[in-house]
Amino acid sequence: MIRVENLKFLDIISYPDMQIEQGQITVIQGESGCGKSTLLKLLNQTQTQSEGKIYYRGNDLETIDTIQLRRELILVNQSLFLFPGTIRENFRMFYERREQIMPSDEELLNFLRICQVPFSLEDLSDTMSGGEKQRVFHAIALSFRPKVLMLDEPTSALDQETAFRFMEQIKEYCKKQEISILMISHDKSLTETFADKMIWLKKGVS
Amino acid sequence: MNGVIVLNIGSFLLIYLLLILILLIMKKSQIHQSKLLFLASIRMTLQLILAGYVLTYIFKNPHPLLTLIYLSTMTFFAVHRVLSKNKGLNRKFKMMIALSIGASGLFMVFFFVAVIVGESIFNPQYVIPLSGMIMGNAMTGTNLGMKTFRESIQSQKNQIETLLNFGVTPKKILQPFVNQALETALLPTLNSMVGMGIVSLPGMMTGQILSGTLPTTAVFYQIAIMIAITTVVCLSVFLSLYLGYHTLYNKRNQMDLRL
Repeated sequence: MIRVENLKFLDIISYPDMQIEQGQITVIQGESGCGKSTLLKLLNQTQTQSEGKIYYRGNDLETIDTIQLRRELILVNQSLFLFPGTIRENFRMFYERREQIMPSDEELLNFLRICQVPFSLEDLSDTMSGGEKQRVFHAIALSFRPKVLMLDEPTSALDQETAFRFMEQIKEYCKKQEISILMISHDKSLTETFADKMIWLKKGVS
Repeated sequence: MNGVIVLNIGSFLLIYLLLILILLIMKKSQIHQSKLLFLASIRMTLQLILAGYVLTYIFKNPHPLLTLIYLSTMTFFAVHRVLSKNKGLNRKFKMMIALSIGASGLFMVFFFVAVIVGESIFNPQYVIPLSGMIMGNAMTGTNLGMKTFRESIQSQKNQIETLLNFGVTPKKILQPFVNQALETALLPTLNSMVGMGIVSLPGMMTGQILSGTLPTTAVFYQIAIMIAITTVVCLSVFLSLYLGYHTLYNKRNQMDLRL
């Protein structure tokens, strides 16, 4: 689904060639500063590589419309963002910005359930804990039905039990929908349980 | 109506004593801006004396070229002041700001003098004081608009990054910031219109009345200049931001938010 060849960023990070398969969970690991988050930004073209090629479904990323690309490869960044207001207002704001019609309440509640959000659409996001906000944020991303879900430390604010339940549900949904997951995680046990494939990144230029 | 009373230089100098009062309050409130107060007072005095001499010369020897030079210098300084407060902006954004202040300011001066007053666009007695008010307000408004725009973008980088990652176009992401900055820049002018004539008699009207103009004539000038000022603020801020925000992203929809 995604193929990376001779990829370099600013001549300070070089990546091994890699392939991300459809419907699989690929986990990226490596020490701090090895370019894990940067790789996700290169894949959604919010940053440009200095060398190398990235192919998505056989097409060179440089020839693809970047907005369409980012709608298919959604990157859920670690520093989450929610608008002030209720969960429903958050869905509305995100859909309005993407100029898309919001799905039905039933569908929205289903995405909240998948992401282990124990709230209704009318609950305020402002008063939620970091972990709760993180799950609402993921539910919004998932509701856009991407082809690839890129998650940067998706369980960083969750306890072990909730993290496992969250990943189980996400994995089940994504397998059914044939959505690929590309995930950065430091959590060893989570990775061992859920990863179909692992990619190790090394620091510096090889 | 009587003409204006010329200030006696001795009594005039007494006004500087009030600065001591400001200094004392600053000291009491631990505001360490006494150097700025001193510098600002000196600069204002020197600049205004110089302007007084230059204006006297121009009024005595009116020439279209002199009026044009004065107008260009004023526009240059207005643009320079806004750009020096927004050093981090990219080159194209700066060019758009310069163009916006220049075009909207000069258009407004021309419209006011030639159409509303019905005077020659080169008559220094009208062009110089009116363009000073118009350019000065365009400068203050654009400064405020740009400050709001920069600060809100800097405090909302996370929002911007998230929306970009979620496939929202940079245009759709930045437009709310443009609208908010325009509103903030317009509010002081709109608020001053509301209180005008009740809370305060505005500067131009006060000046005209002091120099012997009939209050009814002064009122018409004041109404006209207030509408001109509001328009020039709206135009210059809108154009600066509207033309400028497109320079914050490229064709690949990648954003550079160093402001």
